[in-house]
Amino acid sequence: MKRKSVWSFQFTTASLVLIPAAVGINYIGKLFAGVLKLPLWLDSIGTVLASMLAGPIIGAISGAINNIIYGLTMDPISFVYGITSVFIGLVAGVLAYKGWIGNWGKAVVAGLLVGLTAVIISTPLNVWFWGGQTGNFWGDALFAAVMANTHSLWLASFLDELVVDLVDKVLVVLVSYAIYKGLPHNILQLYTGDHHVESLDK
Amino acid sequence: MKSISLYVDRQSFLHRIDPISKIYYIVAAILVPILYPSLTVAFAVMVISLILLFLGKVIRQTLSVYGFVFLVLITVLIIQTLFYPGNETPVYRIGQVVLYREGFFYALTISFRVINIVTSFLILVFTTRSADLVESLVRKGLSPRFGYVIASVFQIVPEMMSAMGRITDAQRSRGMETEGKLSVRMKAFLPLIGPVVLSSLLNVKERALALEVRGFNAKGKKTFLNEEKNFLAPTAVQWSLLAVILIAIIWRIIQ
Repeated sequence: MKRKSVWSFQFTTASLVLIPAAVGINYIGKLFAGVLKLPLWLDSIGTVLASMLAGPIIGAISGAINNIIYGLTMDPISFVYGITSVFIGLVAGVLAYKGWIGNWGKAVVAGLLVGLTAVIISTPLNVWFWGGQTGNFWGDALFAAVMANTHSLWLASFLDELVVDLVDKVLVVLVSYAIYKGLPHNILQLYTGDHHVESLDK
Repeated sequence: MKSISLYVDRQSFLHRIDPISKIYYIVAAILVPILYPSLTVAFAVMVISLILLFLGKVIRQTLSVYGFVFLVLITVLIIQTLFYPGNETPVYRIGQVVLYREGFFYALTISFRVINIVTSFLILVFTTRSADLVESLVRKGLSPRFGYVIASVFQIVPEMMSAMGRITDAQRSRGMETEGKLSVRMKAFLPLIGPVVLSSLLNVKERALALEVRGFNAKGKKTFLNEEKNFLAPTAVQWSLLAVILIAIIWRIIQ
C-alpha cells in the first residue's frame, strides 16, 4: 500500500530509527570510497535510501543530521553544506514517490536530477565560502582553466561542482536503487504499510 | 570500539563551559566578521578563537582537521591570485605568470573566513562530549526523540564501521579484488556496501521494536537520567556573547 500523499508522513519509531542508520550508511559509503580510492564521495547513499523508504521529509532530516554529525566528527565545513543534503533528500524522496527510481534507465535520470539539485544549491555556497572551489583536484583544475579563459567566477564554479557532483549523484542513486531492489519485504513493510498490523505472527 | 567523536578529554575552563554557550560563540564568531567586513576584524576573531583552542589544551589535536582545510586554502590562494576576475594591480611577475594584488587579498579574506568558521566549531567539537551537547539541547527544548536520533548515530556508526571491516575481510577471502584498476575498484563497491547496508536496515527494525516496547512513543514529560551538570557561569557567558552580537548589529545599523 502506498502512502496517501508524498508529504504526509509520521514520525513513527521505524522512520526515526532509520535516520541514524541512513547517516551510518552515508559514513560507510564515504569510507569505502576512500578505502577503494575512488575519485568520488559516494556519501549520500543513506540519505537517498531513507528518502526512497520513508519519503522526502525523513530523507531531508537524514541529510541535515548527516551533515551535523560530519561537522562534529570529521570537518566542520560540512555544516555549511547541510542545506545541500536537505535538498538531496527532498528531491530524491519526491522522485522516488513519483516512481522515477523504478528501473535502471529512470534511475539514471533521477540521479542526474538529484545531481543538478546538489550543484545548484552548492555553487552559491562554494562561491561564498571558498571563492568558488570545491577542494576536488579535477574540479579545481577545471575551475582554474575556466577562470583563466572566461573570467566568470560563477561559470567556473558551476562547472567545477558539476563535473564532480553529477557523476557522483548518478552513481549514488544507482547504488541506492540496487540495494533497494534487494531489500527483503519485511523491511519495506515497515515504511509502506498502513501501520495497522493485526496478525500476531509474521 | 573506535569512537567517532573528536572530543578530547582535558582539564580546562573551556571543557567546563556549557555547550549552549559554545554554540553562541560560533554564532558570534561567524556573524561579527560578516557585519564588519574588514580583514582586521576577521583576523582578530581568528586570533581569539585560536587562543581559546590553545587555552582548551586541544590545539595539537586539531591540526589534522586543519590539514585538509589548509590544502584547499593554498589552492584558493594560488588560483585567486592568478585568475581573480577583479585582478588589476600586478605585484610580481615570474616569466609568463603574473601575481595580482586584488586576487591575493580576496583569497586572504576567504582564508580568514574559513579558518574562523572552522576554528569556532572546533572549539565546540573538541571540548564538548557529544552526549553533553545532546543533553543540553534537549534541556533547551529539542524533542527528546530527536535527541535520541542524534545520540544514537554516535553509537551506530562505530558498530557499522566494525561490520565494514568484517565484510571487507569476508569478501576478500572469497577472492574479491579491492585493489588494481579503477574499474575493478568500482565493481568492488556494491558487494562491500550492500551487506553492511542490509544488516544495518535489519538492525533498524529490531531497534524500532525494542524502542516501542520500552515506551519510546509514550506521551508525557520525559525525565533525565543524569543530574544537570554544573557548568561555568552559563548565563553570564551567554549574555555577554549576545551583547557582543547585539553591539555588532546596532553598530552596523548606525553605520
